[in-house]
Amino acid sequence: MDSSNVIEARKKHNDNLARGNDKTRATWFPLTLMALLLVLPALQFLGNYNYLLHMVLFTASYAVMASGWNILGGFAGYISLGHNVFFAIGGYFAGMILARYGVSTIILAPVAGLVAGIAGYLIGMITLRVRGPSFIISSLALVMIARILFDNWEFIGGANGVALPANELTVQWAKLPYYYAFVIMAAFAVWVSYRIKHSKFGLGLRAISKDEIKAESAGINTRFYKVLAFAISAFLVGMAGAVWGEYLTYIRPNIFLIILVSVNMVLMCILGGKGTVAGPVVGAIFIVVFNEIFVATLGASEINILATGLIMAVALIFFPLGIVGTLAKHHRLPKILNWD
Amino acid sequence: MSNFIQVLILGLALGGVLALMGSGLSLVFGVMRIVNLAHPALIIAGAYVAYWAFKLWGVDPIVSLPFAAIILSIVGILLYKLVFEREAKSAKYSEMSVLLTFSVAMCVEGALGSAFTNTQRVTSPGYATDAIFIGDIFIPTGQLYAGLISLGLIALLALVLKFSRFGYAIRATTQNREAAELLGVNVNLVSLASFAIGIALAGAAGTLVSFVFSFFPAKHWEWIAILMSLVVLGGMGSILGTVIAAFLLSVIAAFVGAWIGSTWSTMTFFLALFVILLVRPQGLFGEKPELT
Repeated sequence: MDSSNVIEARKKHNDNLARGNDKTRATWFPLTLMALLLVLPALQFLGNYNYLLHMVLFTASYAVMASGWNILGGFAGYISLGHNVFFAIGGYFAGMILARYGVSTIILAPVAGLVAGIAGYLIGMITLRVRGPSFIISSLALVMIARILFDNWEFIGGANGVALPANELTVQWAKLPYYYAFVIMAAFAVWVSYRIKHSKFGLGLRAISKDEIKAESAGINTRFYKVLAFAISAFLVGMAGAVWGEYLTYIRPNIFLIILVSVNMVLMCILGGKGTVAGPVVGAIFIVVFNEIFVATLGASEINILATGLIMAVALIFFPLGIVGTLAKHHRLPKILNWD
Repeated sequence: MSNFIQVLILGLALGGVLALMGSGLSLVFGVMRIVNLAHPALIIAGAYVAYWAFKLWGVDPIVSLPFAAIILSIVGILLYKLVFEREAKSAKYSEMSVLLTFSVAMCVEGALGSAFTNTQRVTSPGYATDAIFIGDIFIPTGQLYAGLISLGLIALLALVLKFSRFGYAIRATTQNREAAELLGVNVNLVSLASFAIGIALAGAAGTLVSFVFSFFPAKHWEWIAILMSLVVLGGMGSILGTVIAAFLLSVIAAFVGAWIGSTWSTMTFFLALFVILLVRPQGLFGEKPELT
């Protein structure tokens, strides 16, 4: 029998399926959203919208980090509570070069991401040997180790950190480079998530999250897959960290290595829907807006921690699949949010 | 030589408290398969009970220990009923349960922080700053008392587990939940009771912590990793293992602190955690080849 015919027929069938998917897909929505975000800074001609720009930028930065976290935590099912370590590695790498040689962190971001990614690869080689609770605990220990190292390493400023030069733009336009950097990084992160989800690699990760032993016996190189997923997710988080340092004009351990940063990543993915492409972005929008309202009305950061904990508990108990996941399960997901 | 013994004694004294802090965690994991990340936060809640009892009414922390244990066990029962009951029924580890305890830890930290602010506190009964001298070796009495009381409580727990019918049920549930249920053990009640006991131990440990360490609500993040290193090294769910690991690691940490520098002594626990996970994920006394 001629096997090429069969392969061709299958390919055609798959193409048809893909086209069918595309018809129900609202690709226009993310693209329009992106276009809107790109022209949004034009508002600065009309007046001072720095606050709005800051909010979008902040949301975008968390969308990058949450999407990054989602690749390991959502797709592969390895919950890490220590991803802010890569945020710190990216931030410090780019920040130190900016402080010494004056190279903008926006240019350095991919390199910083790569450094964080390599660190993630190496750390993943060690910590991904264990699963379940042991992995979560090891990720927490990672934060503690990193905090002690960063606090005591004098070359990078120790606990006091390093002040970075601010850019020379006027107040009206000073946020613009970072704004574009974060919005583009967010789009990149979503695109990476989408591509991974629709690749053999993504399928392998999903198999690992369902049942790792079966995945392995089905011939998936689980070890390589999950370490690579760790590296990619560290890459995205590190990239966000690089620009975040320059945006704050300061790098200091207690900006990057506080537990709230990594909790936010986890929470955004869970609230939005882990393992989906749109979930981290939806979660980031919700949490940032919620935090803003909460801080504005109540002030104290302790109450903020309490509230974050409460939302997380409620989300875990009542919507373990997250907003996108729960809606999709009940076939109520609006087309514009179906980015998978 | 006397310096060596001095460091050894300081390490052992801390080991006792850490053993008590870790044993509740180990008990809860053994029975419910839940890694209770909220445990250290609840220890700090216990420390606040002792702190305010001492500050407002001059009650000695050792006297307030049983009250803190009772208050915290009530908190434990409420938490179990509100949050963990459905998790316990599945009788199988899930990521969600860890994240749930994590969110409880944040709630406790936030509640304590907004009620009492994040200033460092320490209860200071007379013996906390005193020391006994034997030759040129000194033993801080605060740590000595805390260590001895911890060992007493752990011994009590061990006796209950070993000889009472109820302890028998707890051990059966730890070993094999389904089989225990088939043989007529009310595993739900056992889970509830051991969760309450675990949290009561956290409260008791908290009162001792209140005069051994200075504390503030956000400090529990550091303790999570420290206690986890004990529980993982001992083999998750093994209380004896946790106690041995506590003494072992705190002695090593004391030597690291004395010879290399005090900044690095806490690092011992975190690095130990990594090394154990790498070399022997089931710990010293664990039986399961891998935790899934």
